[in-house]
Amino acid sequence: MSPTKQNEEDPHVSDSDTDSTYEDSSAADDDDGDSFGSPSESESEPAAGDDSEPDEHGESDSSGLHQEESDSSEDEVAPRNTVGDVPLHWYDDEPHIGYDIKGKKIKKKDKLDKLGSFLANVDDSKNWRKVYDEYNDEEVELTKDEVKLVRRLLKNRAPHADFNPYPDYVDWFKWDGAKHPLSNAPEPKRRFIPSKWEAKKVVQYVRAIRKGLITFDKPKEEDGPYLLWEDDSGLTEKSNHLAYIPAPKQKLPGNEESYNPPLEYIPTQEEINSYQLMYEEDRPKFIPKRFTSMRSIPAYENAMKDCFERCLDLYLCPRVRKKRLNIDPESLKPKLPSRKELKPYPTSCYIEYKGHEDAVTSISVEPSGQWIASGSSDGTVRIWEVETGRCLRRWDVGEAVNCVAWNPQPDVHILAVSLGQDVLILNTHLGDDEEQKKIKELLSVDTSTPSDDSGNSATSVRWLQDDKHGGIKLKFFKTVTAVEWHRKGDYFSTVMPAGESRAVLIHHLSKKLTQKLPFKLHGLAVRSTFHPSRSIFFICTKQSVRVYDLLKRKFIKKLDTGLREASSIAVHPGGDNLIVGSKEGKLCWFDMDLSSKPYKTLKCHPKDINNVVYHRSYPLFASCSDDCNAYVFHGMVYSDLNQNPLIVPLEILRGHTSSDGRGILDCKFHPRQPWLFTAGADKLIKLYCH
Amino acid sequence: MVKAVKHYRPPGKKKEGNAAKFVTRSQALKQLQINLPLFRKLCILKGVTPREPKKKFKGTHQTYYHVKDVAFLHHEPLLEIHREIRVHERKIKKAEAKKNLERAKRLREKTPKPKIDRIIRQRYPRFVDALGELDDCLSMVHLFAALPAAESKKIDIECVHKCRRLAHEWQAFISRTHKLRKAFVSVKGIYYQAEVEGQKITWLTPHSLQQVVSDDVDVITMLNFLQLYEPLLGFVNFRLYHSINLKYPPILDPRLEALAADLYALSRYANANVNAIPSVVNSEASQVAESEQGDAKPKRDDIEHEKSELRLAQLQHQLPTNEPGALMQLVEEAASEEEEDQDTRECKNLFKDLKFFLSREVPRESLLFVIPAFGGIVSWEGEGAPFQESDQSITHQIVDRDAQGHKFLSREYVQPQWVFDSVNARIILPTVDYMVGR
Repeated sequence: MSPTKQNEEDPHVSDSDTDSTYEDSSAADDDDGDSFGSPSESESEPAAGDDSEPDEHGESDSSGLHQEESDSSEDEVAPRNTVGDVPLHWYDDEPHIGYDIKGKKIKKKDKLDKLGSFLANVDDSKNWRKVYDEYNDEEVELTKDEVKLVRRLLKNRAPHADFNPYPDYVDWFKWDGAKHPLSNAPEPKRRFIPSKWEAKKVVQYVRAIRKGLITFDKPKEEDGPYLLWEDDSGLTEKSNHLAYIPAPKQKLPGNEESYNPPLEYIPTQEEINSYQLMYEEDRPKFIPKRFTSMRSIPAYENAMKDCFERCLDLYLCPRVRKKRLNIDPESLKPKLPSRKELKPYPTSCYIEYKGHEDAVTSISVEPSGQWIASGSSDGTVRIWEVETGRCLRRWDVGEAVNCVAWNPQPDVHILAVSLGQDVLILNTHLGDDEEQKKIKELLSVDTSTPSDDSGNSATSVRWLQDDKHGGIKLKFFKTVTAVEWHRKGDYFSTVMPAGESRAVLIHHLSKKLTQKLPFKLHGLAVRSTFHPSRSIFFICTKQSVRVYDLLKRKFIKKLDTGLREASSIAVHPGGDNLIVGSKEGKLCWFDMDLSSKPYKTLKCHPKDINNVVYHRSYPLFASCSDDCNAYVFHGMVYSDLNQNPLIVPLEILRGHTSSDGRGILDCKFHPRQPWLFTAGADKLIKLYCH
Repeated sequence: MVKAVKHYRPPGKKKEGNAAKFVTRSQALKQLQINLPLFRKLCILKGVTPREPKKKFKGTHQTYYHVKDVAFLHHEPLLEIHREIRVHERKIKKAEAKKNLERAKRLREKTPKPKIDRIIRQRYPRFVDALGELDDCLSMVHLFAALPAAESKKIDIECVHKCRRLAHEWQAFISRTHKLRKAFVSVKGIYYQAEVEGQKITWLTPHSLQQVVSDDVDVITMLNFLQLYEPLLGFVNFRLYHSINLKYPPILDPRLEALAADLYALSRYANANVNAIPSVVNSEASQVAESEQGDAKPKRDDIEHEKSELRLAQLQHQLPTNEPGALMQLVEEAASEEEEDQDTRECKNLFKDLKFFLSREVPRESLLFVIPAFGGIVSWEGEGAPFQESDQSITHQIVDRDAQGHKFLSREYVQPQWVFDSVNARIILPTVDYMVGR
C-alpha cells in the first residue's frame, strides 16, 4: 500500500478514544473485560500484553464497553501517537510512527542494535521489566504492582488480589415487616381439586400399559454363576459338529526355569551375546537366570507376552489330531515265557579247570559226560575229570592244537586232535580191557596199504602209525582247522580251508580210508558237520551253508546266511534246524523246512562268534565270542511243523578275561546235564552249571 | 459383476472336495457379514480354530475355516447380540451428540450383554471336560489378578478385582480339599499342579509384584479370552463349592478382605460353614479351625461316619437295576476312589503337626496357599494374623533374610524353598540345607 493512501486514511482513525480502545482490547484478551480494574492500570497493560497477541487490535466487542471509562484517562497521560487502530506495519517503511495530537509526525527513535540491547540487558538488572511499546515507540518499565497483575492474569485469575469473584449474595429485598403481601389474590380453587388433565393423562397411560404400548425396563437381573453342570450322566448324545480337538497343554517347566538352577543351565555372557546374532525365531525364548533367594526374584517381564502368545496359539493355530499309531510297543513283542519257566540252564560258574599254559582253543566232552578233553595252543592235549577238575592225562603234541573231538561212541574212547597239518587219533586209555583191546585194534594202521586205496586223495593224506602217543597220525598238506565225528564214530571229517577242492575230507577210521567229497565247493570252507540222524552232510562256507546227501551223492540245498564271514555251525539234534555263528557277531537260526533264508538273525555279540552249540537233550543253545561272553538261549523246536521255533535269550555268562583280543574260543554243552563248558583265551576252562 | 469362473462347473453340479469343505477367512467374514475383530472374538468364545485342508485351493498364505465351523458361528445367538450391541452403541453416540445424557445413560444401561454360560456348556459338556482345559484359564486369571488396572490399556479395575476374587476362591478350594500336588518356583512365577476329579491341572501364578503391560501385546485379544475364562472359572468354582456344600459366592469377612488376606478369609469362611452344615466330601475342618476351636476331633469322626454313609447311599443310587456285573464295576470304582483318597490323605497329613510363621519378606500369598493345602497351620506378620510371632508352639519360621531380630530356639528357621521341596518330595525334609544363606 502506498504511503499517500495511508495519509488519507489516517485522519479517519485519529480519534482521541482509539488509543484507550486499543489498550483495553489487549487486556481483555487475557481476562473478562467486565471485571477489569481502574483505568490507570489498563493503560499500562498493553505493554505487557504486547508480546502475546500484538495483532489483535480492537476486534473484540468488549473493548467498546470501556470507552467511557478510558475517557478520564485522557487527562492524565496524553498519548502522543494518534494513528489509531491501524496495522502498524503500514508505518514500517516510514521515518515516523504516527502523528501526535496536533498532527505532527512523530519520528521513530533510533533502535539499539542487538549488541547494544544485550549489553543494556546485562548492565541493567531491571531490564527484564522493560517492555517495548511498539505503538508509541518507547520502552515502558513496569512497576512491581503491574508485574504482579500480569502474573495473576497469566494464571487466569482476577487481576486484583482483593477482587472476590464469588461474593456473598446480598438480598436487597426486605421480606419481613411488610404490611401487605405482594399479591393479595385469594388462593384459587384449582389448587385444591385434582387436575382433570392429569386424570386424563393417567387414564391414557393406564390404557397404553394395558394394551402393552408402554413397557417398563425390567429390573436388572444378576447373572452370577449357577450350577451349570448338574448332571453329566445323560450326556452321551453325539453332536453333529466337527470333532473338538482340545488344545495341547503347555510344556511343564524344567530345571532351567527355576529361580536357582544348577550352574550349568546359566548361559555365559558370550552365549547371551551370540543369541543376538541369531535370527529372531531361533533365539531362545527364555534365558535362565539365577537368584540367590526367593525374595530377590523380580517380576517376570515377559509374563504378559507369554500369555498373549499362548492366546494366539489357542485361536490362530490349526489343530490337527496327529494320527500316531497308538500301539503299545510292549504288545508288539511276542509273549516270551519268563526265564524262570525255562529252567534249567547254565547260570553261574561252578568249576574252573586250570593247567593250560596258553589259550585253550578247543574242548570236547566225552559222550558219557564224565571226561572232558581240551586242546591248547601251548601244544598239549589234556583230559579232565568233569566233576572234580582233576587233570587225568596230558599229551605233549608239540604243536598248537586247533581242534579236539571225542568219538561219539560211548565205548570207543578215542580222541581226534588236529594240530597244524596233522590230525592225531589218540587212545585215551579209558574204559575196561575189552574196550581197550578193540580200540587198539582200531588204531593199528596197516602200513602196507597206506595210500593206494584212497584214490585221488592219496596224495593229500597219509595214514601213519604214531608210536609216541599210541595212535594214528594223518598227514595233510594244509592246516586242518576242524575235526568232526560222524554220530556212529566210524567216520570223521576234516576241514582244511586252504585245501581248495580237497578242503573237506571224510575219513573212514576202521578202513583207514580218506575220501574226497564228490561235489564242487563254492567258497572257502569253514566248518563241516554231520546230520545227527541222517546221512546228510553240512559244509559251512564263509557266506553260505551247503547241504549234501552222502548216500545219494546229491547236493540238497544251499542256505544263504547273509553273513559276511561265518565261523561256526551247529545242527539241532532234531536235524531240521541249525545255527550259524559269524565273525560279525551275528547268530543265524535256520529252519530248513521253512526257507533257505535265516528264520532269525540275532545280533548279540559285539565281536566275533567263535563257536555255537546245541544241547543234545535240553532245548538250549549257546554261542561264545571274543567279547568274553557266552550267551545261552532257549531254542525250542516243536514237533508241530506249523509252529515256529521259539528262541528266548536266557543268560549272559561272563567271567572270562580277554587276552590278545580273544575271549572265549570254544564252548560245549554237557551231554546230559544243562551245563556249559567254555574254553577261554585266558588259559581257563570253565563249567557253568544251573 | 460376476467373477470369471476358473474351472467350468456344469450347472447343478455342486462344489466338491476341499473347495466345498473349506472357506478362507475373508470368505467367512463375507458370509457371516461381520468384521474381523468380531469374527475373532466369536472364534475365541466358540473355540473355532482354523483348519488345514489337504489342498489349499486359495494359496498357502490363507487361513482356512471349515464350512461347518462357519455355519456353527452363523447360528450363534451371540452374533445377533453383537449386532444389537452395535446398534445400541450408535444410539448412545447419537444421544450423546445431542447432549441427551439421560437417554444415553439409559441406553447404556440397557445394552444387551452377551451370555457365555450356554457357550461354556456347549464347549464343555461335562464338568470333567471343563477341568481338563482349565490350565490356560487359571493361568490367565491369575495373571490378570496381578495386573495394574490401566485405563489406556482397557483393563478396568473391576475386571482385575473379579479375577483376583476368582483366583482366591479357586485357591481356597484347592487348599481346603488338599488337592494340591506339586509346586515349583520359577523365574516366571510359581507353577502349581492340582488334581481335581482325576484331572491334573497346572497353572502359573506370577510373583506378587507389579506386572508391566507391554505395548506389543494386543490386550483386546486377551480380554476376549478373559471374557470366556472369567465366567468359566466362576461356574467351575460354583460347582466345586457346591460339591463340598458351600454357598457360592462366598461371603468374606470385610476386615480380612481389607487386609488383602482374601485367601485366609476364604478358608475361614469355608471352615465356618462346614461346621454349620455337615458336608459331603472331605469336609473335615482344616487345621486352622482346629486350633481355634479345639474340639474338632469328635466332629471329624462324625463327619467321617456321615461321609461313608453318604457314599453308600450314592452307590445304591447309582446301582442300575437288573444289570449283572454292574455292582462289580461300582465296587471297582469305589476302590479307585479309595486310592485317590490315599493320595489326598498323604497330602493332608504332610504338615499335620507343624505350625508355620511367615516373616515379612517371604511371598505370603503362595505360602498361605501351599501350607494349609498340606495340612499345616500358618500365620504371618501383620494384622489379622491368627497367632503372633511370639507363639511358642510355632515349629517353623520361614525367613528369607539373614538378619533376624529375635531368634527363638524352639523353632527352625528355613527358607521358603524348603516348603516347596518338602511338598514335592512329600516328606518333611531335613532343614539343614535350607538355612538362610545357603
